[in-house]
Amino acid sequence: MKRSDKFRQANKEAKATVLATVAVIVFWTLAGFGLSGSDMKILSTPIWVWMGCVGSWIFACIVAVYLANNVCVDMSFDDEDEEE
Amino acid sequence: MELAKISNLWPLLLFLLCMMGASMWARKSASKDASFVNNYYIGGRDLGGFVLAMTTVATYSSVSTFVGGPGVAWSIGYGWLYMAIVQIVVIFLVLGVFGKKIALVSRKIDAVTIIDIIRSRYQSDTLANLSAFVIVLFFCSTMVAQFVGGAKLFEAVTGLSYSTGLTLFGVIVVFYTAIGGFKGVAVTDALCALAMFVGLGILFSSILDKAGGYEAIMNHLATNHPDMLEPLSRGKMPVSLYISQWMLVGVCTLSLPQSVVRCISSKDSQSIKRAMIVGTFVIGLMTLMATWIGVISKGVLTGPLSQYGTADNITPKTIISCMSPFWAGVTILGPVGATISTIDSLLLSASSSLIKDIYMHKCAKEGKALTDATIKKFSMGCTFILGALVFFISLNPPSLIWQINMFAFGGLETAFFWVLILGLFWHKANKTGAMWAMAGGVAIYCITLAMKIKFMNVHQILFGIVFSGILFYIGNKMGKDQDESVLKIFFPEKYED
Repeated sequence: MKRSDKFRQANKEAKATVLATVAVIVFWTLAGFGLSGSDMKILSTPIWVWMGCVGSWIFACIVAVYLANNVCVDMSFDDEDEEE
Repeated sequence: MELAKISNLWPLLLFLLCMMGASMWARKSASKDASFVNNYYIGGRDLGGFVLAMTTVATYSSVSTFVGGPGVAWSIGYGWLYMAIVQIVVIFLVLGVFGKKIALVSRKIDAVTIIDIIRSRYQSDTLANLSAFVIVLFFCSTMVAQFVGGAKLFEAVTGLSYSTGLTLFGVIVVFYTAIGGFKGVAVTDALCALAMFVGLGILFSSILDKAGGYEAIMNHLATNHPDMLEPLSRGKMPVSLYISQWMLVGVCTLSLPQSVVRCISSKDSQSIKRAMIVGTFVIGLMTLMATWIGVISKGVLTGPLSQYGTADNITPKTIISCMSPFWAGVTILGPVGATISTIDSLLLSASSSLIKDIYMHKCAKEGKALTDATIKKFSMGCTFILGALVFFISLNPPSLIWQINMFAFGGLETAFFWVLILGLFWHKANKTGAMWAMAGGVAIYCITLAMKIKFMNVHQILFGIVFSGILFYIGNKMGKDQDESVLKIFFPEKYED
C-alpha cells in the first residue's frame, strides 16, 4: 500500500468511526428513552434499563467488531518504499 | 487492633508487590534496538491489542468509577447507569479516529508524545509549551484528586489512617512508574483492570447476598423509590445532564492526551483492531458493574443520605456492611487498582512533557548533545520527583488543588479537541488557528465554569468546544498555511498523485 493510500484509508476509517458513534447514540436514545414508557419488566427491572444500558453495551460491541473486521484494513505503519 | 487490621491487608500487599515485579519485568524486556526515550515513554511501540485495550480502559476508569459514580447511582437509580453507559464509545472512538493516523505520523517523525506531533504539525514552540503547561497542570491536579479519593476509601474500608493508605500505594505507584516506564505502566494497568473486576465481582455478589437477591432489591425500589426506575428520575436527571455527559465523558474524551498517546505506542494495525473490540467490551462491562452496584446498594443501605454523610461514603459503607474484613481486604484491590492505574499514566505523560517536550527540545535547539545515559537519569529522576511532589501535596492538599481540578477534565478536552482533530484531518489548519483554539477555548471554558454560566443548563464543555472551534476558524483565516514540507508528512494523499 502506498503511503498516500494508507492515509486515505485512515481518513475513511475515522469517518466510519464517527458514523458508528452516531449509530450508538441513536440506539442508546431509542432503546432507553424510547422504551421508558413500557411497563414490561425482566427480573422486576424495567425493559428500558436492559435495552438502554445492557443493550447499548452489546450494540457498541457489535459496532466495534464491525469496524474492526469490515472497515479497518491491515497495513504496515512503516514506510514501504519498495512498493511505491 | 492495628495489627489485626493490617493482617487483612495481605491481598493488597501481595498485589502491590506484583505491580513492582511486573514493572521490573517490563523494564528487563525493553527493546534493545529502540532508544531509551522510545522505550521509556512509549514502550518501544510494542503494545499488543490486549494490553493496549486494558491500559486505555484502566487509565480512563479512575477511582470515581468506584466511589463517585456508584455513590450517586445509589440516590438517583438507573438513570445514572443509563448516563454512565455513554462511555461505551470512548475506546473505539479514540482508536478508530486517531489510531492509524497517529501511528503512521509518529513513526515518520519519530514522535514520542502528543506534543511532538502538535509541534511538528503546527511548527510552533509556543503552542507546544502551552500544551505542556496545560498537561502538567491538569494532570498533577488530577493525580492529587486520585490519590485523595483512593486514600479516603482505604481509610473508610480498612480503618487504618489516610496517610498509611496513601503511603502504601503512593510510594509503590511512584516507584514502579519511575522504574518501569511506559511498558511497566501498561502491564500494571492490565493487572489493575483485572483487579477492578475482582473487586466489582465480589462487591456485586456480596450485596445481592446481603439484600436477599436481586429481585428483592428491585421490589424494594419499586415500592419505596419508584423514581429510581425512571430514566429522568422524576427531575433528578434532566435531559441537559444526559447531553452534558455525552459530551464530557463520551465524545469529547476523544482528545484526552493520556488516551491519544496510547495510539503512538501501538505495535501494528492488528493490535489497534483487537484493542477496539476488547476495550469496548471491557469498559462497558466495567461501567455496568460498577454503576449497577451503586443502584443495588440501595437494598443494603436503606436509610437517607444524611445517615451516611456524602455520596462518596456510599461505596465504603456498602463494603463494610456486606462483607467480612478479609473480603473487604480483597475488594479494595479494585479501587486501589483504579486509582494507581490512572496515576501511573498521568505521571509518565506529565514527565514526558517536561523532559521530552521541554528539556530535550531545548537542548536540541541549542545544539547540545545528550547521551542516552543522561536522558535516562533525567527521565527517571523527573518522574520520581514529580510523583513525590504529587504524593506530598496529597498528604494535605491545599484548596487550590480542588479549584484547579474542577477545570481539569473538560479543560484538557477543550485544549486538544480541535487542535488534534483539525491538525490531523484538515490540511488548511494552521498555527494561528490552533493557538487561538487552545488558549481561547480553555480560557472561555474556565471562565464560564467559574462563573457558572450555562446554555440550556448543559455543562460548560459545550462553550469550551464550540468557542474553541469558532476561534480556530477565525484564527486560521488570519494565519497562513503551514509549509508544504510539513503538510507532505501529515497529508501525503494531497500531494503524491
